[in-house]
Amino acid sequence: MTYQDDIGLMAHLMRRAGFGASRDELEARVAKGYVATVEELLNPEAQPPVDPYELLRYQPSALLPGGQPPMGNVNYMYYMVTTKRPLEEKMALFWHHVLATGNSKVDNYDQLLEQIVLFRHNGMGNYRDLLLKIAKNPTMIFWLDNNQNHGTAVNENWGRELLELFSLGAGNYTEKDVREASRAFTGWTFETKIPRLPYGRFPWKFEYRPEDHDDGAKEFLGHRGHFNGEDIIDIIVQQPACARFICRHLYNFFVADEPQVPAWSLEPPRDPAAIDAMATAFRESNYEIRPVLRLLFKSDFFKNARYRHLKSPAEVVVGTLRLVGGYDLPKPGYGELSMQPSYMGQDLLNPPSVEGWHTGSEWINSGSLMARINFVADQLGNQSLPGVRAIIDRLKAKTILEPDELVGECLDLLGPVEVGADTRRELIDQARQWGRLSWDSGPNAQIAAKRATEMMQLIAATREYQFA
Amino acid sequence: MPLTTVSNGRTYDWSYAIGRAAATGTGFNYPQTMCLGNDGDIFVANRGNENNFGMRVNRLKLAAPGEEELLAEFFTWGEGDGHSTWPFGVAVDSHSNVYVSDEWTNTISVFHGNGTFLRKWGKTGSGDGELLRPAGLVCDQHGNVIVVDSGNNRLQVFSGDGKFLAKYGKGGTGDGEFNQPWGITLDTAGNIYVADWKNHRVQKLSPKGEFLMKIGEYGTVPAPADAFAVTYLGPHISSTLPEEFPKAGLLNHPTDVAVDSDGDIYIADWGNHRISIFDSEGRPLTNLLGDAQVMSKWGQQSIDANPDMMKALRRVRNLEPQWRFCFPTAVDFNPKTDEIIVADSQRNRLQIYRKVRDYVDFQANL
Repeated sequence: MTYQDDIGLMAHLMRRAGFGASRDELEARVAKGYVATVEELLNPEAQPPVDPYELLRYQPSALLPGGQPPMGNVNYMYYMVTTKRPLEEKMALFWHHVLATGNSKVDNYDQLLEQIVLFRHNGMGNYRDLLLKIAKNPTMIFWLDNNQNHGTAVNENWGRELLELFSLGAGNYTEKDVREASRAFTGWTFETKIPRLPYGRFPWKFEYRPEDHDDGAKEFLGHRGHFNGEDIIDIIVQQPACARFICRHLYNFFVADEPQVPAWSLEPPRDPAAIDAMATAFRESNYEIRPVLRLLFKSDFFKNARYRHLKSPAEVVVGTLRLVGGYDLPKPGYGELSMQPSYMGQDLLNPPSVEGWHTGSEWINSGSLMARINFVADQLGNQSLPGVRAIIDRLKAKTILEPDELVGECLDLLGPVEVGADTRRELIDQARQWGRLSWDSGPNAQIAAKRATEMMQLIAATREYQFA
Repeated sequence: MPLTTVSNGRTYDWSYAIGRAAATGTGFNYPQTMCLGNDGDIFVANRGNENNFGMRVNRLKLAAPGEEELLAEFFTWGEGDGHSTWPFGVAVDSHSNVYVSDEWTNTISVFHGNGTFLRKWGKTGSGDGELLRPAGLVCDQHGNVIVVDSGNNRLQVFSGDGKFLAKYGKGGTGDGEFNQPWGITLDTAGNIYVADWKNHRVQKLSPKGEFLMKIGEYGTVPAPADAFAVTYLGPHISSTLPEEFPKAGLLNHPTDVAVDSDGDIYIADWGNHRISIFDSEGRPLTNLLGDAQVMSKWGQQSIDANPDMMKALRRVRNLEPQWRFCFPTAVDFNPKTDEIIVADSQRNRLQIYRKVRDYVDFQANL
């Protein structure tokens, strides 16, 4: 592989396992090596965590933001933009897509943030343990009504979604299994929280009420016993369908876009061999996520999947903010920035339903596409931002840029972004109208910098730029 | 936990709370700093949020418990003279002029005590007289204003009309050096105490800015396994607290400091959710954790007006999380009343303790 190939592959890894990286970071990571970078991403403890106190120093309302945006989004966005543990943060985003809860019902961004902390800390750990934690998580209990699931009056909402959307997928259980699983989780609830008035938000606390639990005999997925909720989770994770379901989610999130989840019982995976390999690693490691991710990032099916994934709005916004820089400290306007994914169809901490967000081509409509392009173009056009200046400085080092060189360099420094021949030709046509760029004098340098940012804005408007 | 704390010959009684969460009117919105006025009043600077709600300085009348009144609100969000983006520090001089800092516009604004805007100064930068994220403020006996120039890791002294007079300190961890300092106070001799936020200590300087003493060292106490986290950054409420909890003398991002008339030092140990008390030599004495077992007057009004909240409150098994401090940002001592006033930031209230001079043990045979 050439050095440029190494840069391209590393950029691919960082776009998927993180939110992209600047050219300086890519070069440093190439020097370190691909495998070593994968290990660093998989073992984030070696890097310092985000300093939450720095956030609260300037934005104290981001800790217990209540039910109104944007302060909960500010908290979450600050972590994604400033983290030195990008995969840890990406996994939190992944799990909140799979094990989705939303502010539309919960009306407590503080509780949703607590859940993000749970995902951040456990996202690469053991799936069985994570499922148990989320079953005891009061936000999930409220979201899926398990506080209304009583021994004498079963509510099947949690039991059904646990099987359909959180572990097995439709077609791998019966209605009786839903009923029996729900019975097993009766009595899993929370204590009444201190109300929001007059002093602000307080959290829920999980509570198990044995007197409200149905301890009768149950039959679940071919097993018989006086099951409680933990037994149900142990049976679920042993199912072959569970490994395939979770691994298909990982493939869809990190490798290439799959159909939406409801179609998974009808449409086979685009790469069954990849899912099988990941599922085997999942089972052999007793349901650990980290070995699956290791296999994924080192695989050919991952390395060969460049630009087969349509960027989610969070990836667009966070990736852009990390690229242009200048957002290390909270500043006024962070609230508006943190709501940008919502304008593109991904309301962070508030997915549209328990199914999470619909991904892939469903991210795009005429409105969301314009929101994407306008946001990225606004940021790339701001020459006061350090990341934009760094790109211009690299172009400036070339002294003179012919039109095709300007296009090539800008595509390279923004990704590298790979574009088709037609797109490249259109970009070069525009660059030719500007002529040769030169940094040989103050006025020329000003014009050259302006043209460079305009070229980057044009690239951000291409079809290809929407893919990662 | 007792409402009375006795330690090393000192006694502290919890007295009452003032406030509730409110973006305007009778309550607070993330109070950051406060300063006692000259007329039995107090000024509280509120940070607000990104919806541009809540930013303001409240002026309150302090009296007996339940007799607090809102007297004025000013420095609300907006552009132009008299408005703020990120209000932070507040100080009052002997003529009842009120100085407030805005750490986004890097300015100091001056108001009459009734909230009328008078003047402002400030320019972004690191040169003499320039400011970067000005935080706490204090007025000295000469009518000068000492500004915690947080982003430049130094103190700057200005005359009341904004003329640069002196600067003390620089960035670092050594004696007399700072890392994002926050609150500031003076003792009766004019010595300067600064909450050196990211160095997890308080530094005492002479009136001329010479280093004299540092107090505290970094430390957090691990939450017990069964603890209930009121936020994901604490405080943690546990029925089985280990005996050493909370160990005195450890500080986690201290935000403010006050000195009482005996020389005892009160530090807002923000990240540990407590007020840590030290003697005048810097020896740890004890901690206050927040004891608001009685609802504030305005808080009770909110409850009374919302029956669902009242019912929910009755169903709660353990109200202790509501009593406790949650990121207390500011502490003042009122020498006229021996009151220790704490801005309980995330709870949008003030909790007020009294240093008791004539403590008699409680009647045990009731």
